[in-house]
Amino acid sequence: MSESFLNVRNLSVTFPTASGTFAAVDDISFTLKRGEILALVGESGSGKSMTSLAIMRLLPDAARFHGTISIDGTAIAGLDRRHMEDVRGARIGMIFQEPMTSLNPVLKIGRQMTEGLIRHQRMPRHQARIAAIAALDDVGIPDPKSLLDQYPHHLSGGMRQRVMIAAALTLKPGVLIADEPTTALDVTVQAQVLDLLVDLKTRHGSGVLLITHDIGVVAETADRVAVMRGGRIVETGTVGDILTNPQHDYTKGLIASHLTVERAMRQRHAEGRRGRTS
Amino acid sequence: MLFLIAKRVLTAFVTVLTVIVLSGILIHVVPGDPVTAMMAQSVTATPEVMAEMRSQLGLDLPVWQQVVLYASHVLTGDLGTTIRGNEPVARLLFERLPNTFALAVSGLSVALLIGIPLGFLAAINRGRLADTAVMVIAVLGVSIPGFWLGLIMIQVFSLKLGWFPVAGSGYRNIVLPALTLGLTYCALVARMTRSALVDILAEDYIRTARARGLREHQVLFVHALKPALISIVTVVGLVFAYLMGGQVIVENVFSWNGIGRLAVQAMLERDYPMIQGFIVVFASSVVIVSMLIDILYGFLDPRMRQR
Amino acid sequence: MSMVPTTTIRRRALPWSVIIGLGLALVIIILALAAPVIAPYDPMRMASGPRLSAPGLTHLFGTDEFGRDLFSRVLHGGRLSLGIGLTAVLTGILAGGLIGLIAAFSGRVIQSVLLRLIDVLYSFPDTLIALALVAFLGPGIGNATLAIAISLIPFYARVTYGLAAAERAKPYIEAAQLAGIRSARLVRVHVMPNITQSLIVMGTLGFSSAILSAAGLSFLGLGVQPPSPEWGGILASGRNYITKAPWILLFPGLAICVTVLSFNLIGDSLRDLIDPRRKSPS
Repeated sequence: MSESFLNVRNLSVTFPTASGTFAAVDDISFTLKRGEILALVGESGSGKSMTSLAIMRLLPDAARFHGTISIDGTAIAGLDRRHMEDVRGARIGMIFQEPMTSLNPVLKIGRQMTEGLIRHQRMPRHQARIAAIAALDDVGIPDPKSLLDQYPHHLSGGMRQRVMIAAALTLKPGVLIADEPTTALDVTVQAQVLDLLVDLKTRHGSGVLLITHDIGVVAETADRVAVMRGGRIVETGTVGDILTNPQHDYTKGLIASHLTVERAMRQRHAEGRRGRTS
Repeated sequence: MLFLIAKRVLTAFVTVLTVIVLSGILIHVVPGDPVTAMMAQSVTATPEVMAEMRSQLGLDLPVWQQVVLYASHVLTGDLGTTIRGNEPVARLLFERLPNTFALAVSGLSVALLIGIPLGFLAAINRGRLADTAVMVIAVLGVSIPGFWLGLIMIQVFSLKLGWFPVAGSGYRNIVLPALTLGLTYCALVARMTRSALVDILAEDYIRTARARGLREHQVLFVHALKPALISIVTVVGLVFAYLMGGQVIVENVFSWNGIGRLAVQAMLERDYPMIQGFIVVFASSVVIVSMLIDILYGFLDPRMRQR
Repeated sequence: MSMVPTTTIRRRALPWSVIIGLGLALVIIILALAAPVIAPYDPMRMASGPRLSAPGLTHLFGTDEFGRDLFSRVLHGGRLSLGIGLTAVLTGILAGGLIGLIAAFSGRVIQSVLLRLIDVLYSFPDTLIALALVAFLGPGIGNATLAIAISLIPFYARVTYGLAAAERAKPYIEAAQLAGIRSARLVRVHVMPNITQSLIVMGTLGFSSAILSAAGLSFLGLGVQPPSPEWGGILASGRNYITKAPWILLFPGLAICVTVLSFNLIGDSLRDLIDPRRKSPS
């Protein structure tokens, strides 16, 4: 088995416009290994989210994509709809940046937590509920059992985001794409969610593709970084290399504009690099 | 939630009261003297008879007093008596109200049963052939007058094919008028369903459901349909109001024994107490049904139930 | 500068539905205007041909129970329908527009009373309001037209109020008011030009609804009275001959459909941009 788990080669995402096509993602390639957190960094509009949607094959109707994507050796870019449905959730999980709107308001939490298990693993409902309770417990939700019978509007944004993560984790996907998972959250909850991601990689050995514009988040959690700008990857490297010795002017700008990086790095050292598998 | 219900009930009451007052005032906008207009065809219209009728209708009082008097009568359930036959208006109307409701509810069911699937089909095929086809049907649908559609139905299904009786109020008789009403208003339902569903399909939670790997039919029929149906409930009241507008004519086309038919007869005979009574009862039905539907919505939507 | 909806309408290419609608409407208007010239017979003259004869070369649409030529009657019926529709819509827009403007530019008490009243009436379909009014006014073409016009007032009042209130919220109005310009002048010089185009779009929708109401009222015997060749009226008398002469029902009905369809096609594509009901469904 190759060590690289998610392999993206020459991916482009284009939109037709009145004046020709616009490339939201322009010929990018990267790999994600098992037990690794790869941060895809860039400002909004740099193509990070389009990249993740392309991997999930959830692009808007108007978008076209080219390139090859493989997961654990299986090419998924050309899969038909039904086979892609088998991949989504089970082999690549995804959590989105809008916790307030990403849960269905008229379905109970229990249903939304268990439907993936029932669908992918043919798990009986009661068993799926037990798994869901365990997953909610894992993400630190008190009294998870009663939560299953509640509707999303009962929960705060942080709770919803944890529910979303727990739902994605019940299926133990080999790759988890987290699209700005902490942007909508306040600082304390942010830290908890990031810990969850780190935990996921250490405990399950999953690969996490962390999409963010926040260098602080990167410094705290990621192993490697790919910097995106204008649909292209302008720089890749380990967190240490990129943060201490950025090559590209754009990366330098990103780091300079983020004054908390230093502090986060120091904090991380002090905690003895808790994120690393030894 | 209780507060919302109370507020909704109050709004409905104010609306009904406005209608009562308006229909009390309207009798005074009749060009000339209503009694003369009413008695135009009557041979027994001696001046004494007319004067008596005037005082019986309270027409010799100042307008505002008449309106207050009328409103207070209506609120105690007294809608006056008909000029022809001197029968209580309320009794005549309430005798026929069940027939009218039976037809309206059947028509509404047909409209929903046809309109919702059509709107659903259009929304999930947005921009494609099926969508265009449904929208063409919808614009054709709102352009066909109900009474003409009804006449065509009679011609084809009753006279040519002999499947249904031409007129009457039995259970077999309800099929054609209900279809006529339903087909006339299913276009409206289809359109509303489509726009509700198009909005919902663009929601983040639909993307989440897909990201979870659910089968497309699960995404559509569970994650999209349920919220869509809840939001369709909010417009059912509106559809019902429109449908009641078409109801009067359809009742007359099919000689359906409802209050719409009674009303048109009263209008042709200028039987004003009956006309006023019809307006009050008919408008109240519309108001009360849409109020009940709004309250039902409150119970269906978990976000509303909370409050 | 001007309203958002109208500018978008102008910039985008006209959708096919609007083009078809405009084409049909043009044909219908020309036919109605030229009816006296085109119509082969006097629409009221009895025994223009044999009674209840089927459509053919001498009588394109056949004849009715009095031997009147249906083609001529349908053509002249178009004049009546378009005339009623136009009168009703213009009256409705003027009256409704005025009420809407008053509501938008008056004090809180008058405004809330007016809006409440408009909302009450708006919660009933216009056909029903027209029917109720004609019940009091009595049958006849004038009363029917008046009733239909009034039935359209809540709709136009609400549209105008929505547009004017949006306009009023813009900074330039406040600036003008501070500069001491009177409301009436403000409305005339600044608000009206900005909302008339939207009102014209809404006019086409009111038009098709007015034609449907007119036909419905005449069908019930409450609108245009026989022997005038109103489409709904022709259908009402034709229903007695539904087996013997179904063509009496076919052509006037088709005429209603095509007319209503054409104006719906025009108005519909443009309505989504400005319908107040879509903004507040309550």
